[in-house]
Amino acid sequence: MSDIIKFSVSDLNLFYGNFQALKNINMKIAKEKITAFIGPSGCGKSTFIKTVNRMNDLIEGVRITGEITMDGVDIYKDMDAISLRTRVGMVFQQPNPFPMSIYDNVAYGPRIHGIRKKNVLDEIVEKSLRQAAIWDEVKDKLKKSALAVSGGQQQRICIARTLAIEPEVILMDEPTSALDPISTLKIEDLATELKQFYTIIIVTHNMQQAGRISDKTAFFLNGEVIEYGETEQIFNKPRNKKTEDYITGRFG
Amino acid sequence: MEKRKRNDRKLKDGILQGLIYLSAILTVTVLAVIIGFILYKGLPGINFDFLTRQWDDRTTFVNVERKAALTEKNDAAYVASLGITLALDNENIVISHIDKDSPVKAALNMKNQAYVLKKKDIITKAGDVKIEKMTAEEAAAVLNEGMGVVRIKIIRPGGGIVPMLVSTIYIILLSLIIAAPVGISSAIFLNEYAKRGRILRLIRFAIQNLAGIPSIIYGLFGMLVFVQIFKMQYSVLAGSLTLSIMLLPTIISTTEEALREIPPAYREASFGLGSTKLQTIRRIILPGALPGILVAIILSIGRIVGESAALIWTAGTVAQIPGALVGSEAGAATLTTKMYWLIKESADLSTASSIAVVLLVLIIVLNIASKLITRVFLTKKGMN
Ligand SMILES: Nc1ncnc2c1ncn2[C@@H]1O[C@H](COP(=O)(O)OP(=O)(O)OP(=O)(O)O)[C@@H](O)[C@H]1O
Ligand SMILES: [Mg+2]
Repeated sequence: MSDIIKFSVSDLNLFYGNFQALKNINMKIAKEKITAFIGPSGCGKSTFIKTVNRMNDLIEGVRITGEITMDGVDIYKDMDAISLRTRVGMVFQQPNPFPMSIYDNVAYGPRIHGIRKKNVLDEIVEKSLRQAAIWDEVKDKLKKSALAVSGGQQQRICIARTLAIEPEVILMDEPTSALDPISTLKIEDLATELKQFYTIIIVTHNMQQAGRISDKTAFFLNGEVIEYGETEQIFNKPRNKKTEDYITGRFG
Repeated sequence: MEKRKRNDRKLKDGILQGLIYLSAILTVTVLAVIIGFILYKGLPGINFDFLTRQWDDRTTFVNVERKAALTEKNDAAYVASLGITLALDNENIVISHIDKDSPVKAALNMKNQAYVLKKKDIITKAGDVKIEKMTAEEAAAVLNEGMGVVRIKIIRPGGGIVPMLVSTIYIILLSLIIAAPVGISSAIFLNEYAKRGRILRLIRFAIQNLAGIPSIIYGLFGMLVFVQIFKMQYSVLAGSLTLSIMLLPTIISTTEEALREIPPAYREASFGLGSTKLQTIRRIILPGALPGILVAIILSIGRIVGESAALIWTAGTVAQIPGALVGSEAGAATLTTKMYWLIKESADLSTASSIAVVLLVLIIVLNIASKLITRVFLTKKGMN
């Protein structure tokens, strides 16, 4: 069975001022699959994931050439960043709930997109928290500050907050690197659960994690994609020597 | 050898510590003496009248409709038809008591506006009869004569600071209404919109330097521009505009500091959910910066309350409740400028000290308020 293509990246280059952080990237990302990005620190994983929802637009001095399309539409030329970001949600490395109640955090996205009715918001909040597998833990303290729960719970609240804008794609930049093993497993289960409905791109430093949850894996090095393919293949029969070195921990 | 060195050091430490103690004690003593002196000079002058009366004595003619049905009292100083009792106070005939149903409560001035008579109002004339230099009983007899409407000339004694209190509040409100929105917007612009670069650095440099200019120069500028060129005369508006300009640098830099303290992660999260810049500012950035902004506003109020040099030539030193924003009716002395005027014009140190006591109380209240705000918000933040 061949995959449906969600994103198609061609000849993508990105410069921070004079520094080239991404070099000539070509990649097709499948719909409703989990794609993992791995690679050593500073190789450009975060930079690349942020080009997908145009978060790099916020940084001064960034220059991008090449093309990224989503469902065939150029996201830089034929789409504005605001509507792109409502279709492509993002979860960050550090849990970053707003300093407001759990309810207000999850309702933030729907509210800025114009939903005011309380019963509609209530429904969205409950549904999103359930989807993020945290409803049972927080249903009695929705009015409490989102900063007053554990880091793992905060991260799932952030996932719920992203789900509440009903995106098609979820970008996760090392979503578990600040969490304990149990919270990490919960979020991994959650990701595999969510891929039925969402296209997920996840950056991770954790080889086992990439192996456990992803369908496809891309190995980055110095701003280039060294190897990209089925996760199975990348982990068991890497074609490139550098990939093999990195995966077996013989790198550097 | 070793021991002597150590002893030397001990001695030096001792001397230094002594010096530190000494200067601490000196500072505290000086402060205590200043406050003590002001309280000693000023407290005796503070009473209910001082806080509630107009500054100047005010003469007014009023018409009062006399009652027909009289309640008699066994008191020769009681004016039955007006329902008031008179008394002699410092050779003046004053109202010492007013009945509940007294018609002087419905007195009208010459413009037919209500002018309710109060206790301690001085009566100098009833109809055409001068009642100065009479006893209370003689005056009561004069007032009791006749029926219908009587015209009374009264003097309401001044000596209070109400005009200055009101003017101070007006100037605080006006200055903040002008300076806060401009200052906060500028800070948001500089911090959230402006491109980093030479121009931004230049603007910041200018703002920092503006904060250091002595207030008398702002006063001079305000007089030249607002009072003269814009022909506002000494007025609340000219004073408030001058103060607004003076306050802007502080408001901008304090707000900018507060904005900078908001974690970039909040902005990222908000943008990541598809909010526009304005939505992010309104829902995340401004609420986060609110405590800092409030502290900036309280600091500004403190500076307005204490300001004299920037106001003397822009708002004037007339003790009146300003009747307009600009023009001859709009002059407005604040508590501080009136103090300056009192000492310069009449060397009335004790009244000046009484005003100083009121100012001290105001400043203490403001300081406590700003401490409370910071603490409340700090404990809220402490949740994470
Ligand atoms: N805002 C920026 N300005 C200039 N250079 C940057 C900026 N952000 C990242 N870089 C550089 O771009 C390169 C790629 O950074 P990036 O954050 O994408 O790496 P990463 O693969 O996510 O690393 P990590 O695993 O440590 O998160 C690095 O050399 C980094 O120093
Ligand atoms: Mg990264």
